[in-house]
Amino acid sequence: MIHSQNLKRFALSSLITACLAVISMFLSGAPTQAQLLLTERAAPMQVADAFKLEVRDRDDGTRELTWEIAKGYYLYRDYLAAETDAGTKVPLVSPSGIPKDDPTFGSVEVYYDLVQVDLAAAEGPVTLTYQGCQEDGICYPPVTRTLPALAASAQALASIPADKQPIETEAAKDQGSQLTLSQDGGLIEGLRQRGGVLFVLTGFFAFGLLLAFTPCMFPMYPILAGLLSGQGQKLTARRGITLSSVYVLAMASAFGLLGVAAAWSGQNLQIVLQSPVAIYVAAAVFVILALSMFGLFEIQLPAAWTRRISTVGTSSGGTLGGAAALGFSSALIMGPCVTAPLAGALLYIAGTGDVALGAAALFALGLGQGVPLLVVGALGARALPRAGGWMQGFKLAFGFIFLGMSIWLIGRVSAGPEILALWSALLIGGGIFAGAMDLLPVNAGPVRRLIKTAGVFSLLAGAIMLFGAALGGDDPMRPLDRLRASAGSGEGPEKSVNFVTVVSRQSLEAALSNGAAKPSLIYVTADWCVTCRVIEREVWADASVQAALSQMTVIAADVSDFGPEGQAMLDQLGAVGPPTMIFLNSDGKEPPNTRIVGDTTVKAVLSSTGML
Amino acid sequence: MTRITRREALTGTAAAGLVTMAGFSFWPGQSAAQDQELTVEDVLFDPANPVMGNKDGDVTIVEFFDYQCPYCKANHPILKDVVENDGNVRLVMKDWPIFGAPSILAAQLALGASSLGQYKTASDALMETEGRLSKDLIHDTLALAGLDVSALEKAYEDSREKWDGLMARNSRQATLLGLQGTPAFIIGKTIYPGSMSDEALRDAIAKARA
Repeated sequence: MIHSQNLKRFALSSLITACLAVISMFLSGAPTQAQLLLTERAAPMQVADAFKLEVRDRDDGTRELTWEIAKGYYLYRDYLAAETDAGTKVPLVSPSGIPKDDPTFGSVEVYYDLVQVDLAAAEGPVTLTYQGCQEDGICYPPVTRTLPALAASAQALASIPADKQPIETEAAKDQGSQLTLSQDGGLIEGLRQRGGVLFVLTGFFAFGLLLAFTPCMFPMYPILAGLLSGQGQKLTARRGITLSSVYVLAMASAFGLLGVAAAWSGQNLQIVLQSPVAIYVAAAVFVILALSMFGLFEIQLPAAWTRRISTVGTSSGGTLGGAAALGFSSALIMGPCVTAPLAGALLYIAGTGDVALGAAALFALGLGQGVPLLVVGALGARALPRAGGWMQGFKLAFGFIFLGMSIWLIGRVSAGPEILALWSALLIGGGIFAGAMDLLPVNAGPVRRLIKTAGVFSLLAGAIMLFGAALGGDDPMRPLDRLRASAGSGEGPEKSVNFVTVVSRQSLEAALSNGAAKPSLIYVTADWCVTCRVIEREVWADASVQAALSQMTVIAADVSDFGPEGQAMLDQLGAVGPPTMIFLNSDGKEPPNTRIVGDTTVKAVLSSTGML
Repeated sequence: MTRITRREALTGTAAAGLVTMAGFSFWPGQSAAQDQELTVEDVLFDPANPVMGNKDGDVTIVEFFDYQCPYCKANHPILKDVVENDGNVRLVMKDWPIFGAPSILAAQLALGASSLGQYKTASDALMETEGRLSKDLIHDTLALAGLDVSALEKAYEDSREKWDGLMARNSRQATLLGLQGTPAFIIGKTIYPGSMSDEALRDAIAKARA
């Protein structure tokens, strides 16, 4: 602001002196008439004032970085970077900036006013670099700031295996994230936020109650019945309730342990429970149960157990112990069966890593599942069937249901005409056993006629399925699809959704940027994810889903090879594992309540695409 | 001292590294006389730095700049016009690469071109680029301007010490002068931070002459 017309030759060094007041101490001999000359235009601020950085450390070792940017200044998105002492890049998730179309600088993304960036957890101190400019003024050199090490981050990282630690990705460094995830944490997180832990537990209890009416739970009834009938004449209502309560509590505890395992193991449990081996074992258990229903052998195992245990302890205590052991083991046997509907819940628990909540939630789920069992126990002797012809029929029906469960389970692992043929055999067998080929006496009652109707229906359906299987069909609900396909317009069931498969964060970013201005679907899948196979067959094959997705960029994020690359991708998506579907609108933002985790239906997918 | 340390950090690791390599010391604590002499010579008349405009001009404009700094580039045609129309101004473009590796590469090749008497061609071509620079874009731009990129690379390599020393001095000067970023002009003996209109430039030249 001050002008001097006649600066002498040495004035420049005086000027330096003025700029650096500290140095001037060392230049005690320098002239004192130094004058700093600046133009009349607003001088650029000190960089620390232009970009005020606030760092908030989170408990999990991540950090929230907030820059308050002075008016007339901006920060470059591309020049945000962070690295550890060892020089490893630390991933940053930055929002998309405002495109600044500068003819001399091209289109770059910049931030005005305020920007908030997420910094991943890292070990040791992190050096942060950022750079910005004064609008139409000057551009500052990069600013570096070292953030001290966080105690929490060291702990958080120590509990993650080395191959799952955040890795450096070019995307994180070069362009940050192109997608904005919805801040709602899904149904369960929503429950927790709205009503706290109690709400989550109630939700799981209700979910368990729903699961109690799936065929997965059916084997529990005969097992419990065996336990109760083993009590013989002594069975009172009170005793029935006590026994079934113990049984249900033990079952719920087993589920609770499942929750603990899920929370501890992360995605691994999900992989194990969905592995073909576990599913074949469960299918085999159902076959054995079915054979027992058919009378090949009496499922007297429960009674044998209870007897053995009761000989050890007192009669009463032993029986309770037996009930507990039974409840516990039957829950474990049913585990793989209920995993499919449970996938979402397990993924969530694995994602939170909250052991106590995981255990409590699944315990509540087990209790919910046990409610009908408690009712059976309470009704006790009255509810339990006495020997009789109808009882035999009932057992047969259960046998067929168990065989059906077994085929359904196998079908999740491998689909094909063989499975359809199995269904056909089951239906034909069921029809014959229901008396489809038996002659009805003239005076047969309505019940028998109804049963025969069902039997004939089953027989016909089985025949059609066998025909479909011979044609190479594999969908029990549409066994003759092949016929239609070959005769029809050529739009066969083969047509599926054309996913762009990505396996790393970089390729995901690249795929997203290719589909600019279009809504997108990111489908997290894996070879080992059985539920994903089901989704592929039942959801992606659906014509209405294909129509809805035809206007979208569809990306399959494949995490089959579960390494750091896949983990980085999951982290970016805020997903814990497959199957997860993330829907982004054309701005790259995820609308609330659109995310789908776990097994799903055509309807749910259409509802999510409809919200974009 | 604390201020220096912090500023040094602000100029970035590249600059800091170069300064260390060059071993060129501006550290206060030397005699005041020595400090004065060095600074004046270095800022306005560094013998290594190419000079444009009128080499014998009565006013010197020094610009601390970066080949990727948007305002340096936007300002450059205005600056050239003013220098040319005046006819008696020495123009010293001081490379202060603050936008990372591409900026450093651009500066190296332009300085290499100076050994071959092609500095103006190279510098002008690079200043006229649009968008951010990459290695490929820099090479293509220089080739398109009729320059032999490998010859420029060789020229730079041959006098590497000279050019790295120059850039180290530039960045040291920027630090000591308290420059906050690019562009920063020194016209006569006055510091003008940020881009300047032709009017502001003419005024500043007039003031330097007065």
